[in-house]
Amino acid sequence: MPLHKLRSWMKHSIMEIVLLVLCAALAFRAEGFFSMDNLLNVLRNVSMQGLIAFGMTMVIISGEIDLSVGSAVAFAGCLTAYLTQYLTGIGIILEVALPLAMLSSLIVGGCVGCITGFIRVRHKVPTFIITLAWMTILRGAAELITNGFPLTPFPEWYNFIGGGYLFNIPFPAIVFMFTFVAINFLMNYTTFGRSIYAVGGNAEAARLSGINVAMVRILVMAAVAFLAAISGIMQSAEIMSGTPTMAAGWELVIISAVIIGGTSLLGGKGTIRGTLTGIIFLGVLVNGMTLLNISEYWQHIVQGTLILAAVLANRER
Amino acid sequence: MSSAKLQTINIRKEYPGTVALDDVSIEFEGGKVHALIGKNGAGKSTLIKILAGSEQPTHGKILVDGHEVKLYSPMDAFNKGIATVYQELSLVPHLTVAENILLGRLPRGSRARSFVIDWPEVFRRAEALLNSMQVDLDVRMEAAELGVAQQQIVEIAKAMSFNPSVLMLDEPTSALAQHETENLFKLIKKLAQRGVAIIYITHRMQELHNIADIVTVLRDGKYVDTIEIKDATSERVAQMMFGEAVSKHKPAQFTASKEPLMEIRNLGRAGKFSNINFTLYKGEILGIAGLLGSGRTELLRAIFGAEPFDEGEIVLGGKSIKTSTPVTMKSLGVAFTPENRKEDALVQILSIRENMCMAGLNRISTRGFITKAMERKVVNKLIRQLDIKISDMEFSVASLSGGSQQKVVVGNWLNINPKIILFDEPTRGIDVQAKQHIFQIMWDLSRQEIGSVFVSSELEELIEVCHRIIVIKKGRIVREILPGNISTDKLFVMCMEE
Repeated sequence: MPLHKLRSWMKHSIMEIVLLVLCAALAFRAEGFFSMDNLLNVLRNVSMQGLIAFGMTMVIISGEIDLSVGSAVAFAGCLTAYLTQYLTGIGIILEVALPLAMLSSLIVGGCVGCITGFIRVRHKVPTFIITLAWMTILRGAAELITNGFPLTPFPEWYNFIGGGYLFNIPFPAIVFMFTFVAINFLMNYTTFGRSIYAVGGNAEAARLSGINVAMVRILVMAAVAFLAAISGIMQSAEIMSGTPTMAAGWELVIISAVIIGGTSLLGGKGTIRGTLTGIIFLGVLVNGMTLLNISEYWQHIVQGTLILAAVLANRER
Repeated sequence: MSSAKLQTINIRKEYPGTVALDDVSIEFEGGKVHALIGKNGAGKSTLIKILAGSEQPTHGKILVDGHEVKLYSPMDAFNKGIATVYQELSLVPHLTVAENILLGRLPRGSRARSFVIDWPEVFRRAEALLNSMQVDLDVRMEAAELGVAQQQIVEIAKAMSFNPSVLMLDEPTSALAQHETENLFKLIKKLAQRGVAIIYITHRMQELHNIADIVTVLRDGKYVDTIEIKDATSERVAQMMFGEAVSKHKPAQFTASKEPLMEIRNLGRAGKFSNINFTLYKGEILGIAGLLGSGRTELLRAIFGAEPFDEGEIVLGGKSIKTSTPVTMKSLGVAFTPENRKEDALVQILSIRENMCMAGLNRISTRGFITKAMERKVVNKLIRQLDIKISDMEFSVASLSGGSQQKVVVGNWLNINPKIILFDEPTRGIDVQAKQHIFQIMWDLSRQEIGSVFVSSELEELIEVCHRIIVIKKGRIVREILPGNISTDKLFVMCMEE
């Protein structure tokens, strides 16, 4: 490979290279890191946040933000639990009630995103503000329907969605990889995906090119909210309850992963592949530091520093 | 030695590739309003920037009171007594009038090196200044609460607070209503009576007689002449501004068909334009001539749906359209290249390829799916067709020259197979050669039976390019002419005469 091509490749894959170096280092230093069990564990741990991170990448590329995803996860989990309990309470059998509850949570989740998008488009309120409001509202709603305590109406088999394995791979990880492929395809090979870049890069130019800017904005907000609802259902299945405190602070981890992956907060620039790297990077880092017995306090400091470093590195690209 | 307050001697300014000013020598006297007039690109702005210290001349001298000065920064210019009020207002909206006037020089408390602002003194000074200008304004009001005219006055007060001997005003009336303009003129004349040399930059000929004592005309970066206002008839000034136009590049076989493509019926928008009627024919290039603020851009944007219209209809492809949006107009085969290419037409951080596939995404794709290979094919074809000079279509569109960027914008629209293209100032900020390329493209499109509506403030372009020209003034069509039998200065007089 000629030198300038190598350099350009290195520049574009800098985070992947750093990730590989990190893995290599951990393989030597951290006992148990390089075992199949541990790696699958990392994958499972990042799956539920990673799922949302792909949606968040779409949102940020379109020039918006969603701060409510953590609360949306909790709300979807709690709503599923609450509806299951309610429906079985009025005599519907569990095998029907639970799928109905899941479906309702997905629909409600998607609707919340649509409302955000609609307010953004119609009343020109920044999504930062709208989703800041949702963040509090949804967390409150989750506490309200659960009365602040975990609801546990779930049957044994439900655990599969969050904690089960398919062909020895954690089920959430399969959902995660599937979402990656789907959204990566969406962003690169559909007119909708390409419109998202145009809207985030210059909304006025997109509008004057006859792109339906309002529709793009509403759909990306709906997409991330829908993914948060999926994640919430899986999370409730893993812990076998609807707990209002779950997924606290996820929005920051998710946005961090997107930024580490090279997406610009100004919109118009970023890749789904980058976010995949970003989210795995964070997962590996936490896992590695835990295996090395580094205290959680230090982990926070390292994570924060990493975000800064990534932004500075990406500035040059 | 002359009595001039400010004098330029043989000023020349080169930018890479162009000469913006060439050998310009002008004298500005105290106590007089000296108008500087010329069409876009005549070199007015460059001269102001040099006199305001924000640009350095390539060579030539500047004299203040007969002594040569070097103006390396705007601060230098202030210190030599030259103050400038720019066209773009630059007040800080949520600060008071007084703060805006004294921005950066707010008086402090009496203790040495005090950090505490002496508010009573701030307001006292600002008030004293406004009183001396005989302006009645509450200095405690926020700038954002003021109308444009009042903001303009605050800008002038800010400039006057430096106690200048020369005051430059760059198109100060461009955003003002009639009576506001009159008030502003009274103020300017008062300042002139105090002995200040006023340099008044404008491209509005009709203002000259109300404000100026002396008129200097610039054309294509060159000094043309300076005349007394009593000698400045419209015809004479227009002739000085445009010179003898020489451009005959129109293709030999150049006729539009008689088959209507789009009819505009009674189109109107409150405060912008009204009662607009015209028909665009297949293959026709229809020019819209009008001064800045005549409603020409608003009209074009309304047709495309970039802005709304309140009354009337657009008849196109057998359909009557009462509310247009970019999405519906695109689906009917209408394309639009906006006036502000950089801000409104291009996504600067995306590549040339991506910018050329924006409008036509749906046409390039099959059922919503699209690959880079599909896009490359289309873009390659366009690059050849439009003769765009680039080394790689994956480069950022920001790396292109203005002319190439304009071609990218046009190419983006050709993907939808347009029937009509609306061009808003397509030649703004691009060089002469690129302009000819754009015209060539317009003529080629005309031969493919695409109809064009062409808005331009460069009247000679309209005469050169169009089949037919509509003159619009204060939002109404006043004239329809054929370019074959009119000269640029006559067209200009038509656009501005009352």
